[in-house]
Amino acid sequence: MTTEPGSWGYASDFDDITGQVAICGVGDSDMSKASGRTTQQIVGQAVERALEDAGLEPRDVDGLMYVGMPEQFDVAAFHEHFGTDHDIWESRRGGGMTGAATAPYYAAEALRTGRARYVLNTFGVAWATQRGEMTGGPGETHAQDLFKQNLEIPFGWFPQPVYFATIARRHMHEFGTTEEQLGAIAVACRRHANLNPAAVMHEKPLTLERYLASPKFVDPFRKEDCCLISDGGGAYIMTTPERAADAPKPPALVAGVGLGHASTGTHWAQQPAFTSTPAVFSAPAAFRMAGITPADVDLFTCYDPFTIVTLMQIEDSGFCEKGAGGEFVAGDTLHFDSGKLAHNTHGGMLSHAYVLGISHVVEVVRQLRGEGTAPVADCEIGVYGGYTGPQCSTLVLRRG
Amino acid sequence: MADEQDHRIEGKITRAQFPLPDVTWPATAEFWAGAAREELLIPRCDGCGRFRWYPKPECPACAAEPYSWVPVSGRGTLFSWVVVTHPFLPQFADLVPFVPALVALDEDPGVRLPTRMVDCDPGALTFDLPVTVTFRPIAFAGVDGSVPAPMFVPA
Ligand SMILES: [Zn+2]
Repeated sequence: MTTEPGSWGYASDFDDITGQVAICGVGDSDMSKASGRTTQQIVGQAVERALEDAGLEPRDVDGLMYVGMPEQFDVAAFHEHFGTDHDIWESRRGGGMTGAATAPYYAAEALRTGRARYVLNTFGVAWATQRGEMTGGPGETHAQDLFKQNLEIPFGWFPQPVYFATIARRHMHEFGTTEEQLGAIAVACRRHANLNPAAVMHEKPLTLERYLASPKFVDPFRKEDCCLISDGGGAYIMTTPERAADAPKPPALVAGVGLGHASTGTHWAQQPAFTSTPAVFSAPAAFRMAGITPADVDLFTCYDPFTIVTLMQIEDSGFCEKGAGGEFVAGDTLHFDSGKLAHNTHGGMLSHAYVLGISHVVEVVRQLRGEGTAPVADCEIGVYGGYTGPQCSTLVLRRG
Repeated sequence: MADEQDHRIEGKITRAQFPLPDVTWPATAEFWAGAAREELLIPRCDGCGRFRWYPKPECPACAAEPYSWVPVSGRGTLFSWVVVTHPFLPQFADLVPFVPALVALDEDPGVRLPTRMVDCDPGALTFDLPVTVTFRPIAFAGVDGSVPAPMFVPA
C-alpha cells in the first residue's frame, strides 16, 4: 500500500488559458429549505440576476454550460424561461461541483474561436423539496452503484456522512486531528452565514462550545460537520477580458485552472491515500498556471460537504503541510477578518446552502469586487476548490 | 425541526431486497456464496497475482481480465470505523447503534473490507486493532430474508 502522490491519481494536462476568460456577471437564487420550487425556476432566477449584474439581455447569451444531471438549465430551458429562440453553443462540462471550477477552461475555446461571446454557466438543485417525493438527493447516485449495493451498503457503510466520518476518524489517528479543530471549520462558516442574509443558517449562531455539546449522530461527526440539504442555484457569465472591461462591474480574471483525478472513483474505502483528496493534483497545476503560490491566496472557498473534506483540501492545496490542517484551522484562521486564510465567506455548504459549489464561485467574484457580506480586506486572489470524490478541481480568480 | 439539519437519504430502491446484497449479481456472487459456507473469499488477479478488490472487470495493475476467488485467513486490523446512531435508511432502523468499519486484511493491508464490528464495546476500539472474521446474518427492518456475511470481532 502506498500513499505517495502520483500513485493513486493524476492531474489533467491543461493548456494555459491565462488571459482568455473573465467573469463579468454573477447571480444566485433565493436559498432555502424545501420551497416547492422546481430546479428550472431556481436556476432561472439566478440567471436573471446574473444578467442584470452583467448588464446583459437574455439574447446576448450565446453559450450555455451545465452538467449532465437531471433538470439542469439546458438550451431548451433557457429559451422557455426567457422566450428566446436564438442559436446557443452548449456544453455539459459546466455546472457545480468540479465543473464550477473547470467551466472556464472549456469556455475558453468557444470564446477564443468566436463561437460564443457570452457563456453562461449554471447549476441548481431542488433536493430539499424533492426529498419528500423520494427522488433525487445526494445518496441516490451512490445507492445505484452495484459495487456499493453489494459490498458496502449491506454492512451499513452508507451514505456520505458515514464515508466521511470514517475518513475523519482515520485522519485523527494519522495526524492527531481533533474534534475541536473540525469544529473550528463549522464555526467559521456559521459566522460568515450569520453575516450573510442570503444564507439558510443566517439566524442560527454557532459557538465552539455549542458544537462540542451537539450529539454525535455518526461518531465522530455531529450534524454541524455535515452540509445542509437545500433548494438553490447560481450562475456566472464568462466572456473575454476585453469585453469584460466594458461591463458595469469590475471583472474577475481566470488565472488558473486544474483538474485532479483519483483512480478509485467514489469507492473511498479503497482509495490508497485514504485521508487525501485529488486536490493534491489539481491545486499545484492551477497555481502553476496562475504563477502564484498558496501564500498569495487571500480567499479560499471550497466544496464543503463535511468539515473533514475542507480540512483535507486545505492541506492538499498546499496551504499547510499534509497533516497539519487541524492545527492550521484552529482558532480564527478561516474567518474573513483574520488576515490569514479567509474561507467560505458566504457560509459554504455547511451554513449558506448546499448548492454544490456554484455559489462558492459567485462568492469569490463578489469578494474580488469588494461586495462580500463578510468582506475580505484587499482581496486580490481568490480560489475555488471543487470536489466530487473521484475528482478535485481548482480555479484561481484574480481581481481585474 | 425547522432549524434542524435532516440527514435522511432517499436512494432509489431498485430491488425489493435492498439493502440486502443481490447474491446473484455475478461480480460478487462468489463472495456471498463463500460467506454462506463461512469462508472469506477475495478475488485475486490471474495475471499478476495481486488481490483485485473490488472485483472490477479489468486489473488496475496489469490490465488482465481473469481472476479467481481465493480463501483468506479472515484476520486483519481495524483501519477505521464509525458509530452510527442515526438510521440513514429506514431499513437501518433496527440496527442502530451499529459500527460500520473498514478492515485491512493481513494478507494485503491495501485490501479494505467494508464490514461491521460486532460483539465489542465501540468505546474500546483502537486503530490497527487485530480483528478476526465471524459470519453473521444481515437482516433489515421491513425486508424479507437474511444473508450470512463476514463481520469482525476483536481477535
Ligand atoms: Zn493484475
